[in-house]
Amino acid sequence: MKKSRGKKSLILFTSLMLVASMGLSACSSKEKDAASSSGSGDAPKKETVEIQFWNPFETDRSKKVEKIAEEFNASQNEIKVKVLGNQDDQKQLTAISGGAAPDIVITYWNKVGPWAEAGAVLNLDEMIKRDNFDTSQIIPAALDRMKVGDKIYGFPISMSMANKLFYNKKMFADAGITAPPETLEQMFEDAKKLTEKDGSGNITQIGFIPDYPWIDNVFWPIIFGGSWDDGNGKLTANQKANVDSIAYQASYYKEFGNEGIAKFKSGMGKMETPQDPILTGKLGMMIGWENWYIDNRGENGEIGVAPFPYPEAQPELKNAGMVSPVAMFIPAKGKHPEEAWKFMQYLLSEDVQIEYAIAHGSIPILTKALDNPKLTGNEKMKTLKDFLESAKSPNLKGFPNSIYIDEYLQSLNEETEKALLGKISPQEAMDTVVQKMQPIADKDKK
Amino acid sequence: MAATTLQSESKRRARKRLYTGLLFISPWLFGLLVFQLLPIMTSLYYSLTDFNLFGSPEWVGVDNFVALAHDKKMYLSLYNTIFITIFGLFPQIAFALVIALLLNRDVKGKSLYRTIYFLPTLVPAIAGSLLWMWLLNAQYGLINEVLGYLHLPAPNWLLDPKWTKPSLILMGFWGTGTTTIMYLAALQDVPKLYYEAASIDGASPWQKFWNITFPAISPMTLFLVIMGLIGSFQYFSQGYIFADGNGQAIGGPENSILFYAIYLYQTAFSFLKMGYASAMAWVLFVIVFILTIIVFKTSAKWVYYGGEK
Repeated sequence: MKKSRGKKSLILFTSLMLVASMGLSACSSKEKDAASSSGSGDAPKKETVEIQFWNPFETDRSKKVEKIAEEFNASQNEIKVKVLGNQDDQKQLTAISGGAAPDIVITYWNKVGPWAEAGAVLNLDEMIKRDNFDTSQIIPAALDRMKVGDKIYGFPISMSMANKLFYNKKMFADAGITAPPETLEQMFEDAKKLTEKDGSGNITQIGFIPDYPWIDNVFWPIIFGGSWDDGNGKLTANQKANVDSIAYQASYYKEFGNEGIAKFKSGMGKMETPQDPILTGKLGMMIGWENWYIDNRGENGEIGVAPFPYPEAQPELKNAGMVSPVAMFIPAKGKHPEEAWKFMQYLLSEDVQIEYAIAHGSIPILTKALDNPKLTGNEKMKTLKDFLESAKSPNLKGFPNSIYIDEYLQSLNEETEKALLGKISPQEAMDTVVQKMQPIADKDKK
Repeated sequence: MAATTLQSESKRRARKRLYTGLLFISPWLFGLLVFQLLPIMTSLYYSLTDFNLFGSPEWVGVDNFVALAHDKKMYLSLYNTIFITIFGLFPQIAFALVIALLLNRDVKGKSLYRTIYFLPTLVPAIAGSLLWMWLLNAQYGLINEVLGYLHLPAPNWLLDPKWTKPSLILMGFWGTGTTTIMYLAALQDVPKLYYEAASIDGASPWQKFWNITFPAISPMTLFLVIMGLIGSFQYFSQGYIFADGNGQAIGGPENSILFYAIYLYQTAFSFLKMGYASAMAWVLFVIVFILTIIVFKTSAKWVYYGGEK
């Protein structure tokens, strides 16, 4: 009798605590809602609205963003932008899903797709139409990454691209190669000339490693004119161009040996350290991004820059390359979407774009800015000159954004890895990916 | 009459004491309910839904569990996890016991040795992993250097899918300090009397170990096995760092170090499939639960509590 009484009151107490705790959490979200609805109702008075602007950059880079925000703040007194750096995608995800979203966010472009389709990102089409914002001034390959289907969910603030071949000048000279390769076939031959082995067969220097510094499932198919969907929800990763791009990469593994490359790779120093393989003459060629080896690319630098080779049979694919923009978006649950949109347009204006590009050593996303002497004439942008010019190329592409983008890329990665080592054929690899991903794409289309 | 009043009086007092007690532990109780029980129960609900973290969960019944049963990658991650449990956990416990036995002997500088063996435990998992990646480097690593001297084959520890799990296990031996210390504590609790009696009877060191030491410390072994099992099935940091630090995708070469918890993390936070990930978490819970029960049931055969033998 006594025992059961005690137990009962224990259960009662516990459930009371549980109810109280649930009530508490419900309460806090209600309060927030109330606060946000009262916040938007103060139209008549023109008070300064403070908006939160998050970026994932480390302190140094975030400071550059802060400087631009300060200039914006000084230029008008309706909106005050507050910058917060070091907010990576995990922190952004937590804030947005937890109902404490900032007003405007810089993030990696591949987050826009999943978050947009999950309903966390504001669709900008209406505001674009209402304010007649001209989207055609944005470099198409960069803007496409911000779209899911035809809808625009964000804008690029800057972009990176991989469309060059970086090569070690001295290694080329030593091997008697007088000019960088123009076609992929020439590149393969040059890679053989640049590769050396010691007495016991260990590779001591290598011409090219197709998956260094990582397996690139976007870059390579673009070089071969491939794609990943047909725009209507049919996945195309197993088409000939994509398969060819993997077969080409696998040919290096066949030539130099899986074990040999793996062993050589494991001993290579980290990129852009004093042990960096392309700087120390261990690696002859690699894929070139605009923000890599800035200090080593000049006339006197160790590294030469050339357009990335194209397939001999398809000269129309000259100057192909991959675009990877940095994205900005307005969370759907942000409290000040109008102010955020105004600020976003400011960030997309030509002068700000040029300032941003110079500060970050990146490429502006406005086509017209690419020829602006303020940009091209800047001393800091000298090493980027080739990249700025090729940013106009119509052969620039990128990976389509969607809710399943990370899963798609992961799946491509897993199967490409096997194909590079010759464990399965490139066609099998890509068929497996499409088989796995098509049902997921179909489900998403519904 | 008087007796009943007295009884109800004592009852009331007991109740009062219960409430006071509960009041005192209420901060902890509150935390447990809000931050543990509530999320756990919520995840059970999510496991039956399609939930992407932002939208509202959509009820799908047991679809997630059905899909999970056909998920090849899940089985691969489970295989990797079981591999590291069998070939990692048990040898590591045995290793810790051997070290503890050695440290329990009367040697000079005993406390220095104890400190040395415990030190690696203080290194954070991430820093330790990064350090080991250098030791395990196929070309310049210290380990292959030594193997080379001994004319043994030098495997590509970090990039060869056959060797990535053994690398992690090898690294695990380095961090067995806590287990060693716990064994040491248990060893020092074994009454000296037994050994004296055994010596008089002419028992060999091995007989002493097998008939006295091992049974006497078996409750500690049970505890370590259960905690180790739970820990092994949640194996995450080291596997994550090994892939990440090598510039590879989550899961490492050919997904050879894609452990269950890592796949769960990837499903939830990279693929945004919270419902599916919740289902995975519950499957993991059930697996660990069943294994714990099995260990517990068999323990009657090999675990002895004070003086029962």
